[in-house]
Amino acid sequence: MRSLVSFLLLALVASVQAISSSGGNRLLVILEDVAEKAGYSKFFGDLEGMRKSLPYLLPRPNVRVQAASHHLLIASATGRGFDIAYETPKSESLSLFHLGERSYDHVLFLPTKAKGLGPNLTPNILLEFINAEGNILLALSGSTPVPSSLVSVLLEFDIHLPTDRQGLVVDHFNYDTASASEKHDVLLLPTPGPLRPDYKDFFSLSSSDAPDGRERAGERVVAFPNGVGQTLGQGSLLSPILRAPSTSYSYNPKEESETIDDLFASGSQLSLVSALQARNSARFTVVGSADMLSDKWFDASVKKVGEKTSVKTLNRDFAKAVSGWTFGEIGVLRVNWVEHHLNEEGLSNASNPKIYRIKNDVTYSISLSEYSWDKYIPFTVPENDELQLEFSMLSPFHRLKLNPTISSEDSTTYSVSFKLPDQHGIFNFLVNYKRPFLNNVFEKNTVSVRHFAHDEWPRSFVISGAWPWIAGIGATVTGWLAFCAVWLYSAPPATGESKKKQ
Amino acid sequence: MAPKKPATAATTSASASSSSSGQIDKIALNIVQHYQKTTPQRTKLIDTFMAFLVIVGGLQFAYCVLAGNYPFNAFLSGFSATVGQFVLTASLRIQTTEANKSEFPSVSPERAFADYVVGSLILHFFCINFIN
Repeated sequence: MRSLVSFLLLALVASVQAISSSGGNRLLVILEDVAEKAGYSKFFGDLEGMRKSLPYLLPRPNVRVQAASHHLLIASATGRGFDIAYETPKSESLSLFHLGERSYDHVLFLPTKAKGLGPNLTPNILLEFINAEGNILLALSGSTPVPSSLVSVLLEFDIHLPTDRQGLVVDHFNYDTASASEKHDVLLLPTPGPLRPDYKDFFSLSSSDAPDGRERAGERVVAFPNGVGQTLGQGSLLSPILRAPSTSYSYNPKEESETIDDLFASGSQLSLVSALQARNSARFTVVGSADMLSDKWFDASVKKVGEKTSVKTLNRDFAKAVSGWTFGEIGVLRVNWVEHHLNEEGLSNASNPKIYRIKNDVTYSISLSEYSWDKYIPFTVPENDELQLEFSMLSPFHRLKLNPTISSEDSTTYSVSFKLPDQHGIFNFLVNYKRPFLNNVFEKNTVSVRHFAHDEWPRSFVISGAWPWIAGIGATVTGWLAFCAVWLYSAPPATGESKKKQ
Repeated sequence: MAPKKPATAATTSASASSSSSGQIDKIALNIVQHYQKTTPQRTKLIDTFMAFLVIVGGLQFAYCVLAGNYPFNAFLSGFSATVGQFVLTASLRIQTTEANKSEFPSVSPERAFADYVVGSLILHFFCINFIN
């Protein structure tokens, strides 16, 4: 009986959890025909599965108690568990917003044939969706022109597509001999490493993600069939996930000429998969080839030019990494709490006081977690990179490295101790950590810094350098006392004498 | 006393040709003798005290130059204690000298000393406060 009650209770709790998290996994897939989804069944199968909760959807907890309950929520997650809705652009009921709120958390665009996307998916609405912290994954294809609505959105982000909305990336040195021996439009690329050595590596699919036996770098291959390349502007929000090899180029397959006069772009200026993380940490990813995500190329056998053995592609893992990053399953940082206190003996060391004095010793700590697929893990700063604290009034007076001090199961505490500058005013403790592929951390805590009160200076007898002058005053005063005594003692005879003389 | 002076003057002028340094010595000796004979006891006491203040102040200043002025407020109060005391003592000397009697008809030596004591106490209070 008792076990039955507890089971019912558990079921109730589970359902409540499912309801509370279901708001977070709403994925809308836009495709030409709903029947097309069969071609991507493995990809969508990976995305669905068990329930889970996403960090974006819950209110960002700054307090430890909230963090604990959050941890409970995600503890039981196993699959990626997206709640997928399939729509075509023609559908009239399609709407990204309902009563001013997002109806979906993520949108996945697969190639559509129509020139535009209709009144429900105008560039403006898509931008609004990103401004409302919605994530978009956009898959293009070399065989269908990109809808003009999406071209406008891409231009808005400084991502450029070939003219005529169509292009095809080919490479005569890195193609798949098994499937594209003539057209050379199936590129075989090694999995990309981090863009710079101090960036976090999300897409190299190393060790843990890759199946056994494919550990060698040469065999970790991603196929990029029939895709469109993009060129990226100079914006700091843009970063390429997968660059084209140096021997590749993009041309317009519609032009029937033998020689190609004007290339759209070539070599590594072409980005095949590019990412944009907006300032509100909304994510937008362009995958140049939708076929890359299709069942056909998940685990397909490919053969590189000049190699005899065929290898299996890692497209499935790559698609998981790209979609996971875009939909906020990896690379999401959370600030659990921020704390600063006076670090001096004999004084009250209460947390987060509003006021400090100049030259106080102060300790600042910030606790960070990183979301990784289904749980929060301690965030570790990549090698060569630093998490820094600025103590600033207009400009920073200090810029200090934060060192990891305490590491728990799901968070790392970074802290630094320092002496406040000899300048009073309104200061900020500022942590401004913005890196590609990690969502933005911007924590500003304002405190006043006052000058010394008049009774806070050290007494002069404490300072040994002042002793000679203290002795000087002592000598003056005792000399004066002695003088007065002698004066008074010598008074009557002296005056008497002088008066007698006169 | 008056008739003595020309005699000494004559002797010094006579020996002037022999050595100028000896003459200066004699002048200095003369001044000292004259001072010791004519100055009242209390004025001598004041002068001794002022010389003491100059020495103490000079030492403090030398220490500041040699060892640095940290903490500056201590130097200021220590040094200004001697300077202030010197000024006050000089005022006392002016007011109690017999020759200046005509200038201060209403200030008796007792009154001058009382003023001096009050002024000095204020000075000491200020300096000890300021040295913290």
